[in-house]
Amino acid sequence: MMRGGEMIDELDDLFASAKAAAMQPSDALMARVLSDAAALQMQPVVSVPVRRRGGCLAGLAAVFGGAGSLVGVGSAAVAGLFLGFVQPDGLGSVADVWASDTVDQVELMPQVDALLAEE
Amino acid sequence: MPRDTLAELADEALVVLYANGDPDAARLLTKRLLPRVMGYAGRMLSDRVEAEDVAQEAMLRLWKVAPEWRQGEAKVSTWAYRVVTNLCTDRLRARRRRRLDALDDVAEPSDGAMSVVAGMIEADRMAALDGALAQLPERQREAVVLRHIEGLSNPEIAEVLQIGVEAVESLTARGKRALAAILSGQRAALGYEGAE
Repeated sequence: MMRGGEMIDELDDLFASAKAAAMQPSDALMARVLSDAAALQMQPVVSVPVRRRGGCLAGLAAVFGGAGSLVGVGSAAVAGLFLGFVQPDGLGSVADVWASDTVDQVELMPQVDALLAEE
Repeated sequence: MPRDTLAELADEALVVLYANGDPDAARLLTKRLLPRVMGYAGRMLSDRVEAEDVAQEAMLRLWKVAPEWRQGEAKVSTWAYRVVTNLCTDRLRARRRRRLDALDDVAEPSDGAMSVVAGMIEADRMAALDGALAQLPERQREAVVLRHIEGLSNPEIAEVLQIGVEAVESLTARGKRALAAILSGQRAALGYEGAE
């Protein structure tokens, strides 16, 4: 029988010794592994206030439902001011059709004396 | 989750718990896996510093893969052995390329020196075994260490090495025969001469 054949039986003994003599992780390695685990573990979600870009104008746009709406409202305001100052001729004729009589005095708070006198 | 309950869970469940943010799961997984991973890497590389690097890297990969871990697909230990096998293979190939294989020094002790020593102390016996293992072809060495030192079953080794079970049986048988042939010249030094 070849010598390798003889050694086969002793190999199991060597393997058992090797198993018992396996390298054990050091405390330092254990600490490094746990540190890695902690660093990679799912982090709790922290809500960070998002800083809005654009400041007041962006906030105003948000109130009106977006920048497009804000432009529309702004244009209408400017047009109203313009018409108020300029008072074009056509505007007077429209007012004539609507209220043709000249009004000298408008009683905004009518007195109740007349009603009381009738009783 | 209470620690007593955690201790009863399988590795795969602990990986899922770790991914969900349970800090105790990582501690328990490390306690279970790191000694095995370290022992295997140490036997393959015969170098504590390198083995620790490999073990840490293997565990790091486990933490990274944890969120995508699907239970039932693979055993965590088998997966870890596969990662360590690949990492060790890379390092051993790099050693060979650099011609700085420290194992060669251990693998080829002078016959004179060996015969002078009546019996090796345990560390020397292990050094002789490591040296002999280092002379085996890559796959044979992996199969022999996983089967005879790490104690994995043939189907588990097949999964680690991603080969068939029959191929594992062939590798371990051939590896063991080759190992015996390499070590036969050192029987006396290993303390086996005159034992029969």
